Amino acid sequence: MNNKKTKECYFCVNNLEVDYKDTRTLKRFINFYMKILPGKRTGVCAWHQRKLATAIKRSRVMALLSATHK
Amino acid sequence: MSKTKKSTIGHYEMLFIMPNKFTEDEAKTVIEKVEKTIADGSGQITSREYWGKKKLAYEIKHNSYGYYSLCEFDLEKNALAAIDQSLRLSTDVLRHQIIIKKSKTEEELAHDKKINEKIVAKKAEEEKEAKLKEKKQADTPEATPKAAPKKEKRTDMKDLDEKLEGILSAKDLI
Repeated sequence: MNNKKTKECYFCVNNLEVDYKDTRTLKRFINFYMKILPGKRTGVCAWHQRKLATAIKRSRVMALLSATHK
Repeated sequence: MSKTKKSTIGHYEMLFIMPNKFTEDEAKTVIEKVEKTIADGSGQITSREYWGKKKLAYEIKHNSYGYYSLCEFDLEKNALAAIDQSLRLSTDVLRHQIIIKKSKTEEELAHDKKINEKIVAKKAEEEKEAKLKEKKQADTPEATPKAAPKKEKRTDMKDLDEKLEGILSAKDLI
């Protein structure tokens, strides 16, 4: 059962803040269909997952990220 | 919680997009206009950043390109709605987004520094350990495979010799 790697929160480990302008890091947490990936899969902690969701939505509003894939 | 105790000035960050119909110089005049509206509302601009022409992730009012500009400002909370409204009505700005930005206190900054130092130290340690492991791995597997096949070969040869001798002697007997 312990074959899976224990994932750590990217933002906690590197002491980073979630920024809606930084699309390069945000892209790590969305899939091909531009959907927000669950924290369970990416290993992001609950506190940062909430920040991440709002950040992705904000960058969608400002057309930095698209809401759908073409 | 009395309202008078809270500060009436907030720190905000605004990102806005100007349409592609402008040239680079015209876009910059639009930025000046926007900054003027903030200044008229008794706001103080603390930092500004011009991103330049960028491709939009999707078309906004038939524009596939736009000029991005970012600015931070301190403003009275009551005056924010008016600026928001004026930007929404203006045709010079395609889209804008105002966000409350928390400026960090000195304690928080010091705390961040400590954590960052810890992270750097941890990474350095991990690298050292990884290097040591690599060295160990480089030492051990090279020693064993080199020794093992040679021995096997030797034993093989010896076995073969013995077998051959056995066969030869058997043939002789027949």
